[in-house]
Amino acid sequence: MASEKNTNTDSSGKVVIEGLNVFYRRKCVLEDINLVAQEKNITCIIGPSGCGKSTLLMAINRLLDEIPHARISGEIKVRLEQNGFCNVLKMDDSELPQLRRQIGMVFQHPNILPMSILNNVAFPLKIMGLKGEKAMQKIARALRMVYLWDEVKDRLNSSAIELSGGQKQRLCLARVLVMEPEILLLDEPTSFLDQRLGEKIETLLEHLKKEVTLIVVSHYRDQVKRLADKIYRLG
Amino acid sequence: MNRLILRILRIFLWFSAITVPVAVMVLVIFIVFKGLPAISLRLIFGDTNPLDALMLKQQVFEGIFPAMVGTFLVVILSVTWAIPLGILSGIYLAEFSGSHLKKFLDFSFDLLASVPSIVIGLFGLTVAIFLHKYLSRQIYPCLLISSISLAVLIVPYIVRTTQLSLDGVSYSTKLAGYSLGASKIQNLFRVVLPSAIHGILGGVILAVGRAAEDTAVIMLTGVVATAGIPGSVFEKFEALPFYIYYISSQYSDKSELLDGFGAAIILLIICGLLFCVAHLLKNVVVKKVYGF
Repeated sequence: MASEKNTNTDSSGKVVIEGLNVFYRRKCVLEDINLVAQEKNITCIIGPSGCGKSTLLMAINRLLDEIPHARISGEIKVRLEQNGFCNVLKMDDSELPQLRRQIGMVFQHPNILPMSILNNVAFPLKIMGLKGEKAMQKIARALRMVYLWDEVKDRLNSSAIELSGGQKQRLCLARVLVMEPEILLLDEPTSFLDQRLGEKIETLLEHLKKEVTLIVVSHYRDQVKRLADKIYRLG
Repeated sequence: MNRLILRILRIFLWFSAITVPVAVMVLVIFIVFKGLPAISLRLIFGDTNPLDALMLKQQVFEGIFPAMVGTFLVVILSVTWAIPLGILSGIYLAEFSGSHLKKFLDFSFDLLASVPSIVIGLFGLTVAIFLHKYLSRQIYPCLLISSISLAVLIVPYIVRTTQLSLDGVSYSTKLAGYSLGASKIQNLFRVVLPSAIHGILGGVILAVGRAAEDTAVIMLTGVVATAGIPGSVFEKFEALPFYIYYISSQYSDKSELLDGFGAAIILLIICGLLFCVAHLLKNVVVKKVYGF
């Protein structure tokens, strides 16, 4: 069960999780999880390795549906501009792409697509049917936000696989920001970054908080203390 | 002691790895050494004017030109049938099939891959006889039946390489597409297939080679010693593998056998050209897909 630092558990949050259970085959990996993430707040999730923090994030945007033998029960309600307050677990499969655009996610390990740097960031825009100058402006803005533009602006058509670990992680963050999600799920967003860049990304997250609700998994206690409006401990 | 074992293991592995390339080199050098003196315009075009033969103004009766054209046509046709069927089946197996059906289909394709080519040739002949008897008296073993039979032979290779390439795409990559709002179809065509394109096209290239070299299948389904260049897919045709088999088992003097070696060099060159074209196409597709 998730325990919390802040005891405010009202159900008026942006994300409200009640009695969530996740199973892989017959093994229960998350049991009776309750969590409230307030709108335009940073909610941090901490806990030992293997306690299911990443699984919890993947349950919120129903990415777990794509993992074979994963099952979810309980309720995950999110308040979205288009859908209102809805239980994502009751959404039809056809609604999931739209849900995942509204609830963006950055993974712990940068999962770069085997494409150019430009095409990686343009991917979600192409999916949405956005191309041309407008798309390029959004891409440049997202890359500037994660402090990557100056490093890649002259080689946008090069393979993204050639980037360093830190650059890849920022590229993944830019790729999500370009979708302008309402909720952002971040799994160890600074794990591949040096201290200077990590601090810059933290500042970015503080800035994003004005418009976006963030749920962040982090191992760094200091980072959690600096960022979190509310902390949940798993395991 | 461990270092000694590691050293012995490395030497053993090195010898194992080097054996095949050395065997191939010896084989190619032997064929080139024996066949090179036979390579001439006469071997390819016989007494016919090469330009007239190339413009299809005059039939070539004594050269291997019709066999070269026949080989090229049967490979292109068989690959045309096999690629869509093989790749689509591979995609279904890797991405859509349930576990029970997948086991059954896996078993079926493994079984098909293990069927000797002569049996597939016999099947093609049976189909031709059936069609001749019940559909049209005009249908005989021909280029079309041969190419379909060859397609049956190479489909399991394409299915397996497609399936393995798709299975090899990491969940991390697949999840990246889904997390960015891609639907199942968009993720398949924009993320998963591009990630697996190297492996899939590699399988196609191997299948091209397999189709070009097989003799048993075409021997029963439409190839003959003398047919000229086929005017349609319903006609009999000549092919280099069969020519090489025929001349090396029926030769009356040494020069005919040398012609067989010359034809073997030409077959190797055609296979090499098909490989090069397939590699070029692969590079073009990969560049278009990856965008760099």
